[in-house]
Amino acid sequence: MKTLLKLSASSRILLLLAALWIVVILLFAALRPTMFSASTVTTVLQFSTILALVSLGQCLVILAGGAGIDLSVGGIVSLSVVLAMTAVKAGLPPALLPVACVAAGLLLGLFNGLLVTRLRILPLIATLGTLFVYSGLALALTGGAAQSGVPAWLLAWGRGLILSLPVPFVTLVVPVFAIAAVLLLLSAWGRWLFAMGFNERSARLVGIPVDRVRLLVYGLSGLLSGLAGLVSLAWLGSARPNIGQNLELESLTAVMLGGVAITGGVGGVGGVIAAVILLVTLKTGLLQLNVNTVWQVGIVGALLIAVLLIERLSKRWS
Amino acid sequence: MRQSSLRFVAIGGREWALLGAVILASIVFSVASPYFVTAGNAGTIVRNSTELMLAGLGMTLLLAMGSIDVSIGILMGLAAIAVAHALLASVAPALALLVGPLTGAGLGLLTALVVVRGRVPAIVGTLGLLGVYRMGVFALLGGQWLSGLPAGLTELLSSTILGIPLSVLVIGLAYLAVWLALRRTPYGPHLLSIGNAEEKARLSGVPVTKVRIATFVISGALTGLAASFYVASYRNVEMAIGSTLALDAIAAVVLGGTSIMGGRCSLLGTALGVVLLRILQNGLLLMGVPSLWQPVVTGALLISVLALELPVSRLGDMKEKWMQR
Repeated sequence: MKTLLKLSASSRILLLLAALWIVVILLFAALRPTMFSASTVTTVLQFSTILALVSLGQCLVILAGGAGIDLSVGGIVSLSVVLAMTAVKAGLPPALLPVACVAAGLLLGLFNGLLVTRLRILPLIATLGTLFVYSGLALALTGGAAQSGVPAWLLAWGRGLILSLPVPFVTLVVPVFAIAAVLLLLSAWGRWLFAMGFNERSARLVGIPVDRVRLLVYGLSGLLSGLAGLVSLAWLGSARPNIGQNLELESLTAVMLGGVAITGGVGGVGGVIAAVILLVTLKTGLLQLNVNTVWQVGIVGALLIAVLLIERLSKRWS
Repeated sequence: MRQSSLRFVAIGGREWALLGAVILASIVFSVASPYFVTAGNAGTIVRNSTELMLAGLGMTLLLAMGSIDVSIGILMGLAAIAVAHALLASVAPALALLVGPLTGAGLGLLTALVVVRGRVPAIVGTLGLLGVYRMGVFALLGGQWLSGLPAGLTELLSSTILGIPLSVLVIGLAYLAVWLALRRTPYGPHLLSIGNAEEKARLSGVPVTKVRIATFVISGALTGLAASFYVASYRNVEMAIGSTLALDAIAAVVLGGTSIMGGRCSLLGTALGVVLLRILQNGLLLMGVPSLWQPVVTGALLISVLALELPVSRLGDMKEKWMQR
């Protein structure tokens, strides 16, 4: 009975997001009919790949509760690409570039996890600090210049298309989200995550290794950010030290829009991917209407606040 | 229950340690760079500290209340644009000085509406507002600099009363006002009890909503005053204004010993934290460390201070357990 209720709640969110998505598309159709083509779909999914991976990590961190939030995701994306590229330039075989990028992300994420679980620093302060440390390091190590030299085979993967769908989306986002959904819904580990977010005290009392799970979750968020960095490398062909800018805001908006409760314990990955696609469609449409990126940041910020306000209000009414 | 967890600190171990750190850092940097001890450099440090000092006072209140505002940097930007336009419209400098705090208080009220009335968690709500405000700054500036502003405000703030520059007097008054509000009115205990345990405070009759709204408005007004100082000292407003102000303010407040978990608050600590932070940033710059490293250093400092606090608090817990036996 309870799972049935949860299912209906999550499908309600998906329906709502789908309706919103259609509204957005109709709006852009009225403003600029020429933007509808297969290439737009490709662009949207291409942009979605990075945000989807980062948002999944953010979603896991928030689901696990304990005031969990990862503000440093953008910093991890920037720093992992810079570190991986620097390592390759220093003599690491280019074949290991993906491994280096993901490993860097994992380590940076685990560092966040240690700050939160071992040193008991409030997640928002710990990850705010590491956001500036990571993104600052990415800029300071490169002087702000993009690092080129991505091997051709990686570019082929990053820019390739299968049936006009970007390869990274098909080979990375789809399986990763499928695995995450299975883990969250069917594995004991997923149940632990929801239990921690729902009530940490009772989760501890029934013997869930809360700290270990939380450390792992921050590590996973870092790993997914590293993967997002890898996608940016393979797609753009260079390591840009500011590639992760504003990702903390965008991923939070996607996660909140996707129906994850900020207090943890409620939500799922289906809503998150739907929200990511909605968000990126909105951004791509604005880009094609020549709206400055600063306006996009503002609109995403306003959306984040609106989502949370509506959530509170609907709770009050129901 | 621990009574000692609710406390104001006048001058304690933390403040002496910070004072020691300020002196130590000054000695190290004056050995490392001959320019550090010059009068010109001291002036630079003081001038760079003014905005952070004012914004830091507001951040102290917010963090002591268990809240946060990451949008203060760009809030200062919006208030600075208002001050700049007031100056360009040749408003009297004394009035232009007030435009900053008024704009800031208005924006603080907006933040309070979202965070307190809308019950949105402060970190998420202010992060969203950060995006919205940045759009506002961009829309108002149109991608250009507001530069060559009239010097009226600069002259006003550097004019002296009884030999004391007006800027020092204004900052002193702001500090005194916050100190008095904390120590001589019910606002202080209310603030700290909310920081300690909001629900308990509500049940014991603290007007939680009012105090929280007031704190965001006060923080906004102080940051707005910082904007007036910013315009007076730089006489321009650009897109990147205040990009690290929130981080710097949080770092200075945490350095000063105000507890993020709420319930402990030290204004003097914040003031010393601001000076220490600016001395470190200035000294590193003089030693040839590029300014790109500044957020790295500040962020690392913030984390290490919090990390170092852990053993100390564990020691305190152990002592307490020992005493109970």
